[in-house]
Amino acid sequence: MRLRQGWLLAGICALALSAGTAHAATEIRVVVAHYSDATAPIFEGMAKDFEHAHPDVKIRVEDVSWDNLQQRLTTDIAGGTPPDLAIVGTRWLLDYASQDVAEPLDSYMTQEFKDRFIGDFLKPSVINGKTYGLPVAASVRSMFYNKDLLAKAGVNGPPATWDDFLAAAKSVKAKSGGAYAFGLQGKELETDVYWYYALWTMGGNLIENGKSGIASPAGIKAATLYKELIDEGLTQPEPTGANRQDVESLFKQGRAAMIFTGPYMRGQIAKEAPTLNYGIAPIPKGTTAATYGVTDSIVLFKDSSHKDVAWKFLEEQAFSPKWRTEFTLKEGFLPITKAEAADPTFANDPGLKALTALLPSARFAPLIPNWEEMADATMAALQQIYLGDAKPEDALKSAADKIDGLIKP
Amino acid sequence: MRRHTGVSGFLAFVMILPSIVLTLWTVGYPVVDIAVTSIHSVNRFGRTTGFVGLANFAALLADPIFVASFWRTLIWTASVVAGTILVSLPIALVLQEDFAGRGLARVIIMLPWAISLTMNAVVWRWILNGQYGMLNALLFDLGLIDGPVEWLAQARPAFMIEIAIGIFVSMPFTVTILLGGLASLPSEIYEAARVDGASAIMRFRALTLPLLKPFINMAIVLNIIYVFNSFPIIWVLTQGDPANSTDILVTYLYKLAFRYGRLDLAAAMSIVMLLILLVFSVAYASMAMRSQSAE
Repeated sequence: MRLRQGWLLAGICALALSAGTAHAATEIRVVVAHYSDATAPIFEGMAKDFEHAHPDVKIRVEDVSWDNLQQRLTTDIAGGTPPDLAIVGTRWLLDYASQDVAEPLDSYMTQEFKDRFIGDFLKPSVINGKTYGLPVAASVRSMFYNKDLLAKAGVNGPPATWDDFLAAAKSVKAKSGGAYAFGLQGKELETDVYWYYALWTMGGNLIENGKSGIASPAGIKAATLYKELIDEGLTQPEPTGANRQDVESLFKQGRAAMIFTGPYMRGQIAKEAPTLNYGIAPIPKGTTAATYGVTDSIVLFKDSSHKDVAWKFLEEQAFSPKWRTEFTLKEGFLPITKAEAADPTFANDPGLKALTALLPSARFAPLIPNWEEMADATMAALQQIYLGDAKPEDALKSAADKIDGLIKP
Repeated sequence: MRRHTGVSGFLAFVMILPSIVLTLWTVGYPVVDIAVTSIHSVNRFGRTTGFVGLANFAALLADPIFVASFWRTLIWTASVVAGTILVSLPIALVLQEDFAGRGLARVIIMLPWAISLTMNAVVWRWILNGQYGMLNALLFDLGLIDGPVEWLAQARPAFMIEIAIGIFVSMPFTVTILLGGLASLPSEIYEAARVDGASAIMRFRALTLPLLKPFINMAIVLNIIYVFNSFPIIWVLTQGDPANSTDILVTYLYKLAFRYGRLDLAAAMSIVMLLILLVFSVAYASMAMRSQSAE
């Protein structure tokens, strides 16, 4: 009798256990990109709120560094175990859409949900009329200038055009006691972007009529200008030795008067060089105003077995006013939803206002395949130009030919 | 030669069979998988999208960066291996001598080995930084330079520095092999040579070098295999820049596979690299067997 009771008990326990696991079986895996040490706790907070409202769901947040993110997701997808949701660089979306691993979100979005976003922010993630991702982080690049160095050089305010820029740079070189007028990035990630600013403001485009536009007259003009800056000693010496961080360090140390960088620089300066007297201005104009806008997107994977629950998580938590504001504030990005923009912290910040004002002129990386390979081809051409190993026309032309081959293989 | 009976030979085979199967599987599976990938077109996520025959190999040969990286890999491997042997041999000879502090000297020579290759490269990157690197600070204080020098900004100096660092980090291993070789040399013949009045240089050329030859050969082959595929130094210092002028095969392979998502091209490239290394491995194996049969 005893024995049988024991067995019965064990059976009930087993049943209860299996029921328990079945009950909490809805597990949503969310891979988040590591923007800072605040990222994971913010998403854990969202998860907690969501689990509180839906006790049958477990949200698992996985924090992955940007360096490993693409490789990690690629491996997961290739292995057939993608997460349910993941933050990705918006320009990766094309691969995700064309390989049919990302779920189009249009049928999930209500009008109310769409209305939460500011203006065109949903647009960068639309491919062939379908929305494949929702923007989670937005930033726009601008010129950061050292007010003291410009004043010392007798330059009043930041240069608005490239002509003014050249004149200002010459004055800085002559009068600012060894400081570099312009920090020019010449190696590693985003070396190409540092040059796109000039390309775009001079009226050029990355893609023109389905072909590379880097060897256009605007492109040659832009590359010639940068080479001239190098040759006249208006940049730090030998730019091909400096990556993005090197250039930003020069600025933070007060040794470069002007650089192009993103909003995150504000936080870095506040922490590392709080006494630096700097201002934020648009990229100098050529024929037009332009800058580089970057968004990151969150995607829902087609292979997710709980798409509705995952979507609910996005709708109820990730894009709620509370968590959007928390995220953008802590990470130092620009507001994406109207609720964030209305928050007094953003509305009363002149720096953020200046950056937000640049958004209408921002260009985004075009959603074309093989983007990384094109970026590297462009970077290689620029390095040849900066080093004086090739003429701007020749180097850009051969890079453009290579890119044309990548666009239409 | 001992005679084996058929039974014990068969039994021996059965007993090592599990190991053979395991080895073939762990070594063979990836190779077969990569070989299959190399003749298909494969998307970024590893899904095969069609059979293409040798098109991936043709695409590689038509890629000027691949061809340039191939030749540069040969220069890289030859320079680092030759430099390593030339530097390690005198060091091993000195460390073989009995002198006060030899233990300490041996430890110092071995130290770079204790630090991971990547960490080594990162430290060198800091040292060589143009704006705040130690090297420029030192040269500036000595009055040898009057402004920052970007050591890694141009192709030629950058590649030469990478080769020098390659030699520096390959040295401990090579010195160890050579020291082992030196310790195994019989001392009688040296005494005999000394009695016959041979000078130190004559002893080195007539005795040490020939006797050490198997060990030097071993060091050369093993170093070729390591250096050919050595990724961290070049990746950390220049990522193959400027303008792909310091790319070797393995750094370009990494770009193809993980930056550009061209897994099929990368697989074809791996096969090419595997075949090149196979030649050296066979050379190594035959050398090892020959030295064994010589004993």
